[in-house]
Amino acid sequence: MTTPAPAAEPLLSEERSPVPPGRTPVSRRLGASMPTWPLIATKHLELRKRRGLMITVAVMLIGPAVLVLGLRLAFHLFDPAHYGPAGDPSTFDAIVNLLAEFGFIIAAVVGAAAGTTDLNDGVFRYLVITGRSRLALYLARIPAGLAILIPALAVAFSMVCLVTAYEGTPQPATVSVANGVSVPAQLDQAQLQAWVSAHPRQAAQAFAPSPVPGSGPGRPTKAQDIATEYTNYTAAEDAQLNPAANEMFKIGLWLALEVAIGFLVGLGLGALTGQRTLSTILLIGLEIIVTPILARVQIPYFLNGQRLDVGIAMDQLRPAALAPATGPGPGGLLFGGRGALGIPLMPTWAMISVIVGWIVVWSAVGAWRMMTRDA
Amino acid sequence: MTSRHPVTTITAMNANHVLGLAHSAAAVKDVPPGAGGFHVGIIPIALLLFVLGGIGYSVSRARRGRTSAQHDDEWGRREQRPPAAAPTAPEPSGVAPAHDLGAAPARARRDVSFERPAGGWAVETHGLTKRFGSNVAVNDVELSVPRGSAFGYLGPNGAGKTTLIRTLLGLTRSNGGTTSLLGIPVPAERSRALAAVGAIVDEPRFHPHLTGRDNLRLLAAARGGDAARRIAPSLERVGLTERADHKVSSYSMGMRQRLGVASCLLGDPKLLILDEPMNGLDPAGMHQMREMIVSLADEGRTVMLSSHLLDEVERTCDAVAIVDRGRVIRQGPIDELIRAAGTASVQVDCADPARAARLIDDAGIAAGTSLTDAGLTVALPAAASRELVADINRRLVAAGISVYGLQEVRASLEDWFLSVTTRLGEQP
Repeated sequence: MTTPAPAAEPLLSEERSPVPPGRTPVSRRLGASMPTWPLIATKHLELRKRRGLMITVAVMLIGPAVLVLGLRLAFHLFDPAHYGPAGDPSTFDAIVNLLAEFGFIIAAVVGAAAGTTDLNDGVFRYLVITGRSRLALYLARIPAGLAILIPALAVAFSMVCLVTAYEGTPQPATVSVANGVSVPAQLDQAQLQAWVSAHPRQAAQAFAPSPVPGSGPGRPTKAQDIATEYTNYTAAEDAQLNPAANEMFKIGLWLALEVAIGFLVGLGLGALTGQRTLSTILLIGLEIIVTPILARVQIPYFLNGQRLDVGIAMDQLRPAALAPATGPGPGGLLFGGRGALGIPLMPTWAMISVIVGWIVVWSAVGAWRMMTRDA
Repeated sequence: MTSRHPVTTITAMNANHVLGLAHSAAAVKDVPPGAGGFHVGIIPIALLLFVLGGIGYSVSRARRGRTSAQHDDEWGRREQRPPAAAPTAPEPSGVAPAHDLGAAPARARRDVSFERPAGGWAVETHGLTKRFGSNVAVNDVELSVPRGSAFGYLGPNGAGKTTLIRTLLGLTRSNGGTTSLLGIPVPAERSRALAAVGAIVDEPRFHPHLTGRDNLRLLAAARGGDAARRIAPSLERVGLTERADHKVSSYSMGMRQRLGVASCLLGDPKLLILDEPMNGLDPAGMHQMREMIVSLADEGRTVMLSSHLLDEVERTCDAVAIVDRGRVIRQGPIDELIRAAGTASVQVDCADPARAARLIDDAGIAAGTSLTDAGLTVALPAAASRELVADINRRLVAAGISVYGLQEVRASLEDWFLSVTTRLGEQP
């Protein structure tokens, strides 16, 4: 009995075996612009094996949730008399806002690494020599990088959602609006109007306009717009009630989009400059300095220019159930964090155009540079 | 865990409650919505600094890894194994004598035909030009590399060898001329041409944080086809199987060169282009690389290597092109070029040089004789063997001329190379 010969290196032959019917020759596949699954998988491997980068991803994305929720859970467990439950709406908002801030930054870091690592390690030319389309080499990095970031984000966000849902304060039946007035929770606008009609005195206190000089203090006006009242009511509700499951889902999608944008911009900028550190610093500056300033300060004759900042567009897209990172007053990351827009909103089509534009333009710029760069 | 502290209203966290640790029932009170807000404070700044520090640490670590690997020759030597195709009896010193008259070459050179083959040349360029500003790195190069040969692209440092290779492979765009690899025009059908080409340019580079095998997986995935199946045989071929699962940052220069050759083999190439493959190798590594190149050529693959090491090219290649200042000034089979370079000679130190010269001229065994202050110089015919030197000695002794010494002098490829090329920095 003979044992089968081990798989040997295919021998060189001028008469190579013909391509089976229905299969594309390798040389033609190499020129295709779409990346193959093995190429994506190996690019993912290449990023995943960067230990420092992966530690940074874990610390920035999962770390805050683990730290804050873990400590709150532990303190509440051991001393419930002094420490409240771990999950509540304000904690949810705080951690999610932190995830959005850090998510963009770490996504930019990973994107810049993905866009420059082949260049910096000198491997790019060897990938080009394989004959594989440069566009395919670029595009393979997108799913590879997102396959690292999105699961990490999902882990962190799931922890926040689970703690909020199962280890949080019981949902109150009423919402405290103003002046100690409690209004039943979960009302829609018509129900709120009915409640206002049924409780005119409480409604007057709850939705009292700001005192105007010359008028009586806190005197309610009949012309009070129910829409304004409803806006105030929902704002109070968002701050005091845990988000519903569908709201959490929307917030999760918004976070994923924030991270995806950070990654794609980092990838494009990294591919354009070829310098990881420069790209990272530029995008961190955009996130924690430029965007908060542009979001709060209206520059004369430059409003539309300010609106071109993707961070502002993303803040406008922010789900209603998620409070901004900062309210009025100091606080937030460096220049006040994200989310509290101090400039007029832009039309929805313009907001979507800005977001899509950033994705498309930076991806195109990165791909173009990758295709034209000397290897 | 459920709450034992039902609350009616909850404040937003304030700056004193960064972690929410003081967020007790006692802290719960009525505050208008939006009046609080999460004041991130020092934690994000600390995390940011941590990230930036991490990036800096990673960069410095990667640099350290590369540097240490380049100096890791001792380890590299210990781990080096002769490749599968290497002969079992390597040269003891690893380096053959540079001027060994009549010594047999390391192998018999293949007959190389410079007649245009039916399927086209392995590499063919016409008028290929590449400029960097005013500097012409590749100057109107006309190059024809025969298929199935080991071909040397020989030139001094700065002659434009690497630039030519980068242009051939489409890594940089040329400023003029045409190129084809294996008869396929580049860059028009670059992907098709490169599917059967393997190359090392400048020096083999890999991701230092990945293992050798993972690096090959990356390149195999880019190549597609059967390349992934050839990873293990390629590693075996270059003798790196045992170190394949170590990070490349721990590899010596020689191991990286071998890994580079393994990466070339992933595509089962008909043409290999190796740029200075002996760079950074110790004598044992050079010997292994030389044998590797010869064995690859023996399989019918075309191996084009660039080098400034004349002896290596002479030992390894069948044909050569000499490049100087970006221009190919000669190309052809090495034997023909050496013959054209002139004959070898023997410097004879004897008692009566004049009589010795007449004696040798009368015997007709030499190409010529000349008398100098240093004594008698006997020019030997082309392809003279070592026996001829002994024969000269016997004849002189038989004629009663005392011989004090015979100094072999060989006109080599190096002599000819130096005579036809200009040195870097000199005016042409």
